[in-house]
Amino acid sequence: MTIVVGYVPTPEGEAALAQAIAEARKSNSRLLVINSSKGDALVDNRYAQEPEIQSIEDRLATQGIDHVIKQPVRGHDAAAEVLDAAEEHNADLIVIGLRRRTPVGKLILGSTSQRILLEADCPVLAVKAG
Amino acid sequence: MSSSPTLASRLKGRSELGVALLLGAAGVMVFLDANGLATPYSKSDPVGPRTVPFIVAGLLVVCAVLLAVNVLRGGKGEAEGGEDVDLAHPADWKTVLPLVGAFIANILLIDWAGWVISGTVLFWGSVWALGGRHYVRDGLISLALSILTFYGFFLGLGIALPAGLLEGIL
Amino acid sequence: MDVFSSLMDGFATALTPMNFLYAVIGVVLGTAVGVLPGLGPAMTVALLLPVTYALEPTSAFIMFAGIYYGGMYGGSTTSILLNTPGESSSVVTAIEGNKMAKAGRAAQALATAAIGSFVAGTIGTTLLAVCAPIVVQFAVSLGSPSYFAIMVLALLAVTAVLGSSRLRGFAALGLGLAIGLVGMDSVTGQQRLTFGMPLLADGLDIVVVAVAIFAVGEALWVAAHLRRTPLHVIPVGRPWMGKQDWKRSWKPWLRGTAFGFPFGALPAGGAEIPTFLSYVTEKRLSKHPEEFGHGAIEGVAGPEAANNAAAAGTLTPMLALGLPTNATAAVMLAAFTSYGIQPGPQLFASQGPLVWALIASLFIGNLLLLIINLPLAPLWAKLLQLPRPYLYAGILFFATLGAYSVNLQAFDLVILLVLGALGFMMRRFGLPVLPLILGVILGPRLEGQLRKTLQLSAGNPAGLWSEPIAVGIYVIVAVILLWPLLMRLWRKARPGRRPLLPANSGAADYSD
Repeated sequence: MTIVVGYVPTPEGEAALAQAIAEARKSNSRLLVINSSKGDALVDNRYAQEPEIQSIEDRLATQGIDHVIKQPVRGHDAAAEVLDAAEEHNADLIVIGLRRRTPVGKLILGSTSQRILLEADCPVLAVKAG
Repeated sequence: MSSSPTLASRLKGRSELGVALLLGAAGVMVFLDANGLATPYSKSDPVGPRTVPFIVAGLLVVCAVLLAVNVLRGGKGEAEGGEDVDLAHPADWKTVLPLVGAFIANILLIDWAGWVISGTVLFWGSVWALGGRHYVRDGLISLALSILTFYGFFLGLGIALPAGLLEGIL
Repeated sequence: MDVFSSLMDGFATALTPMNFLYAVIGVVLGTAVGVLPGLGPAMTVALLLPVTYALEPTSAFIMFAGIYYGGMYGGSTTSILLNTPGESSSVVTAIEGNKMAKAGRAAQALATAAIGSFVAGTIGTTLLAVCAPIVVQFAVSLGSPSYFAIMVLALLAVTAVLGSSRLRGFAALGLGLAIGLVGMDSVTGQQRLTFGMPLLADGLDIVVVAVAIFAVGEALWVAAHLRRTPLHVIPVGRPWMGKQDWKRSWKPWLRGTAFGFPFGALPAGGAEIPTFLSYVTEKRLSKHPEEFGHGAIEGVAGPEAANNAAAAGTLTPMLALGLPTNATAAVMLAAFTSYGIQPGPQLFASQGPLVWALIASLFIGNLLLLIINLPLAPLWAKLLQLPRPYLYAGILFFATLGAYSVNLQAFDLVILLVLGALGFMMRRFGLPVLPLILGVILGPRLEGQLRKTLQLSAGNPAGLWSEPIAVGIYVIVAVILLWPLLMRLWRKARPGRRPLLPANSGAADYSD
């Protein structure tokens, strides 16, 4: 089995990653960690830097999880990157983190998670930050 | 694979010879132009209009020769870095050429179609070349910017940018 | 006494509501462009040159001065929070500043940089106010031969000392002088390098040249090499410093100022060498040398002060002699020309109120930077997330607008593109842009002085060294030109001697 997790260095992203690790251990799946950036600005705090990636790498390795970490920067938004990866690897599950938003906020800012929920071909597990 | 870096560096060396060529051509041009000037002898201007161009031409030609020698000996100009510049990858012509295209479109359009139209084309085209893909939003921003600068220059600086096709509407 | 009363008059002018507003606009805009990637104070002043058509000179220069100082400040913010120094003068700040930020001391690093800049800027501006009139007094007694020699010195020093390759510096200078030749010869009325095009008869407008080289060339260059992996900006709250930090900072601030001002005032000093010297000194004098390399506050305080003091120093030859020694000063000088104001020693006499208001506004701008920017640091960090397409498209848009508004001719835009391509090529092949722009600005004035000098000596070239000061300056010029040769002989005599400066200081490569 393959699990795709959309990771961002925020509480929501950490929650998603933790959940994905738990799922991967339960079903002995391969874990695909996607952390992408559109790359259209000099600074993107949602794009994980070397030390963060290294610590995730270590964490997954010590838990003995078969994993791949990808950081695509191709000008696509995060939803497209996660959906792409899920399709390419025939994912059985996508794990994402949800931000708390008011209904109005949701209306104005079409969200990444909403697009993944609507367009994914496999089950999507959405978690909130603890 | 092992030959590709040497090939690349050789190409780079060759392209820098173009700079030497340009300098030499500029020097010759300055010299010929100065040579064609008339120099009426006058007490009030013993230096005349030719002296400085001759010196500049000499400087350019000497630099051209020395640069060619320097490059052939393996010298290299250090490309300029910057906070948003990553010199690890080669020049991205797929970005630069459309940018230049948008710029030329503006030159061709500005007098005929007016600044509001040509400026919109310039900004929108540049945003597109640089990877912006929100076509409608970018278009609206471009138009707003062009109209704002048109009126801003007219009211604030007293400069009337050409209205072109929209003459009478604006 | 005279300086003091002139300065007070300057304050009176600079503090009128309108001028004060322009000072605020200047420092805010300056900080923003200093923070934004790919934009610098020289480019911003170049892009704003069209305002000289509508704005009073005093207001315009107050705003430009704010941009100049603000840009310096913004540059240090990014080098601390991102470790990507935009200008060579903030390279040293980044070394310790970024380490401090990574260790969770970003607030203190920003604070010592900001307060140090304020201290150095204020002392530097005071020195400027005191020194400039003295330099002017000396300069007005000089005749054409000496003045010609000083201009030669300024051009050659910038070309030969700054940058990593002298040869490429001279190539850039040659191109600049050639561009400066275009147009009608002022004495005989003959057209030079116009190729029969009437549009070129008035010469290339300095606004168009500056915008092309600094804005179009830079935007195209950055667009070709956009950084592909996004960076993180280190989160920061409001900058502040503890008692210990103050104790460790104040001496480096003063020492940095002492390094910065004289180097800035020299024809080819720049800010790189003093920031480096300050860093080395602080490392040697520090009670915590083990902290250097891991975020020592002295390593931020000293170089940052040196940087700002050098900025003030640079204005001394600019205002007193009409000689710019860095890019921003060069573009500001272009603005003087654009107003029809003749820069040079006579500037203090002919435009006294303007000059003193400008100096007063530097004091005000420094204080404003401190008051406005300490609380705003987190906001500035947010600016870095601005999508690049808008940023660089905006630069091209306003560059076009600025160049077009000079004469309302599409032809100027063709020149803008051609010279922009030249600017691109120069960045690609390591030709420094500063000698080119100085060549364009100083070339015609240099020729004027030369002709005046030889006119006085009735064509006898000996007239060039008819004043003792001119002779002295030519000796300095000769030393600068022969420096690589002297160094080589020196090294041969004492083999195994290491160069004094590191490779990146830009002063140690004499390979050509």
